[in-house]
Amino acid sequence: MTSSDTPVVQITGLGKTYPGAQEPALSGVSLSVARGEIVVLLGLSGSGKSTLLRHINGLETPTVGRVVSIGQDVSALTGRDLRTLRGRIGFIFQQFELVGPLTVLENVLTGSLSTLRGPRVGTWSYPRESRLKALAHLERVGLLERAYQRADTLSGGQQQRVAIARALMQDPEILLADEPVASLDPESSSQVMSLIREIAAERGLTVVCSLHQVELALGWGDRVVGLRAGEVVLDTPTNDLSKDKVMEIYGRVATTTGELAAIEQELAEVREQLLTEELRKGAHENEHGTDAGKS
Amino acid sequence: MTAVQDDRATSVADRVAGIRRPPPRTSTIVSYGVIIGIAVLGVASFLSLDYSFRNVETTFDNISRFLASATPLEWPGWEVVATVGEGGTKSYVTEWAGWDPIIHVGGSILITLALVVAGTSLAAVLSVPVAYGAARNTTPNPVVMAVCRGIGVVARAVPDVALVVFFAFLWFGAGTLPAIVAVGLHSVGMISKMMADAIEQIDEGPRLAVKATGGSTSQQFWSGVVPQALPAWIAVTLHRADINLRGTVILGVVGVAGLGYDLDEALHAGPAGMRRVIPIVLIIIALCVLFEIVSSSIRARLLNVRPTGRGLGDSLVRAAQRRTAKPAAAAPAGPRADAVTERHRRIEAALHRPWDRARVTTTLWIWLGLAAVALAYLYTQPDLIRLVSGWRFDQVSNEALDRAVWPPNFGGRDLGDVLGAVVTTLTVAFAATLMAALISAVVGPLSARNVAPNHWVRNAFRGIALVVRAIPDLVVAILFIIATGFGPQAAALALGIGGVGLLGKLIGDSMEEVPNGPERALAAAGGSRPQVFFASTVPMSVPSLVSHLMYLLEQNVRSATLLGIVGGGGIGFLLMNALQGRHFDQVLAFLFVIILMVVVIESVSILIRRALK
Repeated sequence: MTSSDTPVVQITGLGKTYPGAQEPALSGVSLSVARGEIVVLLGLSGSGKSTLLRHINGLETPTVGRVVSIGQDVSALTGRDLRTLRGRIGFIFQQFELVGPLTVLENVLTGSLSTLRGPRVGTWSYPRESRLKALAHLERVGLLERAYQRADTLSGGQQQRVAIARALMQDPEILLADEPVASLDPESSSQVMSLIREIAAERGLTVVCSLHQVELALGWGDRVVGLRAGEVVLDTPTNDLSKDKVMEIYGRVATTTGELAAIEQELAEVREQLLTEELRKGAHENEHGTDAGKS
Repeated sequence: MTAVQDDRATSVADRVAGIRRPPPRTSTIVSYGVIIGIAVLGVASFLSLDYSFRNVETTFDNISRFLASATPLEWPGWEVVATVGEGGTKSYVTEWAGWDPIIHVGGSILITLALVVAGTSLAAVLSVPVAYGAARNTTPNPVVMAVCRGIGVVARAVPDVALVVFFAFLWFGAGTLPAIVAVGLHSVGMISKMMADAIEQIDEGPRLAVKATGGSTSQQFWSGVVPQALPAWIAVTLHRADINLRGTVILGVVGVAGLGYDLDEALHAGPAGMRRVIPIVLIIIALCVLFEIVSSSIRARLLNVRPTGRGLGDSLVRAAQRRTAKPAAAAPAGPRADAVTERHRRIEAALHRPWDRARVTTTLWIWLGLAAVALAYLYTQPDLIRLVSGWRFDQVSNEALDRAVWPPNFGGRDLGDVLGAVVTTLTVAFAATLMAALISAVVGPLSARNVAPNHWVRNAFRGIALVVRAIPDLVVAILFIIATGFGPQAAALALGIGGVGLLGKLIGDSMEEVPNGPERALAAAGGSRPQVFFASTVPMSVPSLVSHLMYLLEQNVRSATLLGIVGGGGIGFLLMNALQGRHFDQVLAFLFVIILMVVVIESVSILIRRALK
């Protein structure tokens, strides 16, 4: 393990151009993330957030530059070593990416594949400790009762919580989340986001999460990194930052009126979401007993 | 005033004349090219097959002669005794002959089913690695992909009859083993292709997620890909079992035990045998229909796995489940100190999957399937030892017996004869495709919900397609061959009518799948039903129609080859002659020709389908 003062993720001069593409997806990105930090990558769609995240666990290989995760040069790793590194980094996808026909429990168990040898078919092919651990994680995300349902029978929010349990199964040191709530309704969103935060606190996880909603990013992360057209244009802690200031920066980030309009549109949506959320919360408190209370 | 109008009119006309028409899209050219091509070649083939009036007359003669000799029907268990009365008139008395023939037929049915299940399950297992290598998104490298796809094409092209004869020779006296291995190897072609298609169509996300957790390539395949492709794999296997059951009719010709063999025996057993033919054919058809119903209901069950039952029984079961589930779900509100032990208790309890209805049914299906396969192998008792010992390769290349495999040769026929046979087979295929297309052009649309004027018409035409599909075309072919005498005319007729079952259903389905917005728009604008059909439904379904037409042509080329074996002429007939003489060098040569023919047709078909996209 690395000592606590060296960064867990160290990216230097990272550039990525996809074959056949005109513009680079990323250029000159340098970023270092300390252990236990909660970092939000902020940017419009197409700004390179996903590409950046995928470089950290080696799902993409850099065109230029270097990515060091947990003390290892990612692009230098292959085969078993790369798999072991990936096993130490949890990844949460926008579309959850559960294996629909499998049970919830088996989906969580797939998180332990990097520590096992050979293919596994069926819950019983995993060791008993793994099954107990998987069930404990399911209990943590409040879905123990769903363990033996098909994953594709769950709602979006529930599926994302299963995906979080799957990532926990890896005992990760870093948790990467790629737009984890972009496909969810406001209520599930806040549930999932606070769950990630809680789990990060419980385990001292380093989290890098990409988001496109400014309000959510400000209230949630410790540090915001803004991306635009594959370049880092903002990198600042959130505690001394007001919403107006970030909006101002975010506004500067956008150069064309079209982009500004898109941001404004997004902001309006966020405000509306927050409003409905508050309304719904109010309604729930009146009724006593929310979904979280039940599970 | 008029001058101004004229002026404007000319200018519009000028502008219209000046508009540059965009060149037609490749897919349009290809679509119409295929339709015209099949029509022209079909008509030419039809003409060259010479369905003249005299032929039709002889056909009726043949049919009435056949019916005269085949009646009264001799069902298993009864015996028809002919007594010659005064003046040479024959009278027939049907007498109860005991249970033995019935038990014999029961045994034939069982062995037929067992061979089909054993062979198809073997193919299903062998197909997994082939499909893994053939699918673009799982194959380790392009060479493996080319090899696996090649295996699929060759397996599809080599008829299982040829394999049976060859293996029966290699493992002389190995019982049912040659048939099982032959059916298994041949079926790998179709199952692996369909499964590779299913693998290429999966959602890549879950697989990427398994990769991101650090899963190896094989773990990604088994945890991320297989669960998604599994329903397709089972469905294709069941479908293939269906096809193999029909195919056993032909396997009987080369001596594989079962109903096909009984039929072949009856056809060659003189007048007493002829009276057994129709009952056996009816039994085969009934068996095929039953099997089809079972397999398609299992397939339907697989394709929508979610419990959506709205019947009284389903509701009752669900209500019962809720009641039993409640005490477990509602955790007792204990003091906070117990929270940790309580949590452990719940997790421990969840370690054992409850026997809910979903689990019971799944487990039941799995064991039923395994039991069916196990029983099939127990019943057929293939001499598996022969797989590893007792290969008689020395016999295969025995100069003294005039047997050799290498070098392949046409056995005295020149290339022209062989090409002529290929042309005959293709003629049969094209004529049959045209015939099926013409009939399906009526049956297909009228069996589509959005075209048929009312649900009576729709159900009637759906029923026609269903009935035709249920009747094995090979059985039809045998009947036609009996009726019209041997030859390609019979084969083309049989395939043409059999094709209606497939093409009619495909056309009906693809017309129902057309987006129905434009249809509604035209109907709202006052279009009549035929107007809506020709202005909206047809143009929107042309690409899929052409693709189905090519599929049918492909199938017909393969079937025409097979029909040659039972006397339909063409390259199949040459193959059969070589097989019967155990001239394996000729067999190999004709197999090369067949493979080449199938590969060319399939490549053209792939190119056309790619151009349609």
